[in-house]
Amino acid sequence: MSIVTTEALTKIYKMGDTTINAVDGLDLSIDKGEFLSIMGPSGSGKTTLLHLLGCLDVPTAGKVNIDGVETGDLSGAALASIRREKVGFIFQEYNLLPVLSAVENVELPLRYLKVKPAERRRRALEALEKVGLSDRARNRPSQLSGGEAQRVAIARALVTEPALVLADEPTGELDTTNTVRIMDLVRDLNRDFQQTFAIVTHDPMVAERTRRIISIRDGKIESDKAVA
Amino acid sequence: MAFIFRNMWRRKGRTFLTIFGIVVGIFALTVLGGMTARMDQQVKGMKGFITGKISVAPEDSGAHVRMRGGGSSYMDLSTARAIEKIPGVQTASGMVMVQLKSAEGLSAPQMLVGYEPPADGGMFKDIKMSQGRELKAGDTDKAVVGSVLATQERSKVGGPITLKGKTYEVAGIMDATLGPTDAWAFVPYQDGLNTFLAANPFIKDVQLVQSITVLPKPGADIEALAGTIQKDIPGVKTTSPVQAEKQISQMTTIFSAIILGIAFIALFVGGLSVINTMIMSVSERRREIGLKKAIGATTSTILREYLGEAAMIGLFAGAVGMLAGLLAISALNRATHANNVVIFAVTSTVILGPVIFATILASLAGLFPALRAARLNPVDALKEE
Repeated sequence: MSIVTTEALTKIYKMGDTTINAVDGLDLSIDKGEFLSIMGPSGSGKTTLLHLLGCLDVPTAGKVNIDGVETGDLSGAALASIRREKVGFIFQEYNLLPVLSAVENVELPLRYLKVKPAERRRRALEALEKVGLSDRARNRPSQLSGGEAQRVAIARALVTEPALVLADEPTGELDTTNTVRIMDLVRDLNRDFQQTFAIVTHDPMVAERTRRIISIRDGKIESDKAVA
Repeated sequence: MAFIFRNMWRRKGRTFLTIFGIVVGIFALTVLGGMTARMDQQVKGMKGFITGKISVAPEDSGAHVRMRGGGSSYMDLSTARAIEKIPGVQTASGMVMVQLKSAEGLSAPQMLVGYEPPADGGMFKDIKMSQGRELKAGDTDKAVVGSVLATQERSKVGGPITLKGKTYEVAGIMDATLGPTDAWAFVPYQDGLNTFLAANPFIKDVQLVQSITVLPKPGADIEALAGTIQKDIPGVKTTSPVQAEKQISQMTTIFSAIILGIAFIALFVGGLSVINTMIMSVSERRREIGLKKAIGATTSTILREYLGEAAMIGLFAGAVGMLAGLLAISALNRATHANNVVIFAVTSTVILGPVIFATILASLAGLFPALRAARLNPVDALKEE
């Protein structure tokens, strides 16, 4: 069953007289429980695609359907609601709020979902437990290592149990040991909780650990293959 | 709420300076507001004294409301008798005033007022006696004393009070009006006149009055009656209650406008520093705003968050500035208390006004930066270094 589908998805940027087709008529389907990576060189359009899939950006043309909702004509507030309810984001630079503790950072999406404080705390601690960071719940981001900070960010992406988790170069700031740990963690979360992951990366080691690799060049799918 | 506080304290120095700027403005507003409130009380107290009466003064005596008494022109007591013959006039009471002690700060001077008490009293319509009674026609060597003067002289009804060397028996003590009459003593006309002549030995006229207070008969149109007196009696200037109130209001309005103007300028500067602080905060936190939007915060959520931060700066600075102002007011009032002078009044407006004002001011100042934050495109914001 598809959790995300795109039809002729297009994003065009205009910079002065230059037109850039960042995403160029792309058709894609991601099934529930998939664990895939999107690869491509810099400027290939992979991050733009991720933003379009996550309703952070709106397409110039074409359609995105997330968990049965057509997002084409939705207002800004409705797109925010989809991001709240159906999408989880993991970024390269973790993007944790420095004034909040680890558990408060994880709670943040639940705040926007208006979940009651006690329930919020319970679910955030549960998410931290899934990523093995229960003992660092009260620490501020400045007191965490890079690997730990990214695990907090993963917990934040999972806490709302979204239909789709989108990760943009999640290991880009990490050394090899931590990259392996994070990828193992994400793979376990996918296996144990059937959580759908789409990971943008240019690191073959990361891509090889997923089960499907979509290669993108010039805004188009160059190849789409299952990993043995 | 806790997050708002934590964000405020991220840049302690900057937040402190912004708050300090508003605190100074709010301090000024509270202290000056206290002064205005005190003036307002005095005006209200004065209104109690002028209600239901027409005041008649010599034509060239200038303003009727002579809070400091004195004046260079006088009328003869016979003018009062002539006024009493006009239909609609119940009593016309000649008055003479002598200063007992000069004014200090914004407080009224202590005055001795000699007047002709009406046969059945009723001269102080809106001022009640807290003890004893008003003066009556025929009373001699008796005095009615204002509340402040009574406290200062430790006067008791039936007890003595010495004013300008003459000892009177206290017939009554007036309720506090917070107006200038609280520091006045009222004595029979002849006693007042004798004191006046003793203080002004160059004046030989023996039946002079400085002003005449006219009480209308019940049911008489007081404004029309003031016009009739003005028309029929030569050489006088009448002031009806409506005119008197207008004169007092004009005086206080100008004063209030000046002192509040000063405070508002101080706060305008505070407002600008809130705008500056909030613009800086938004610029520094663009990535965070992008992240919040990515995980589902709406435009209005971000707007509320930043407006809340600006309002909190205003509320906090307002509360601190107001408390500092109250401390100053209390210290200054205590310092002048020994002389029975009250320069500042503390009312609910003096307390709440500046705090509410600072909160609204800071929120308004924060509106533009907050809107800027709320309208950020998440993709652009996330790209920020």
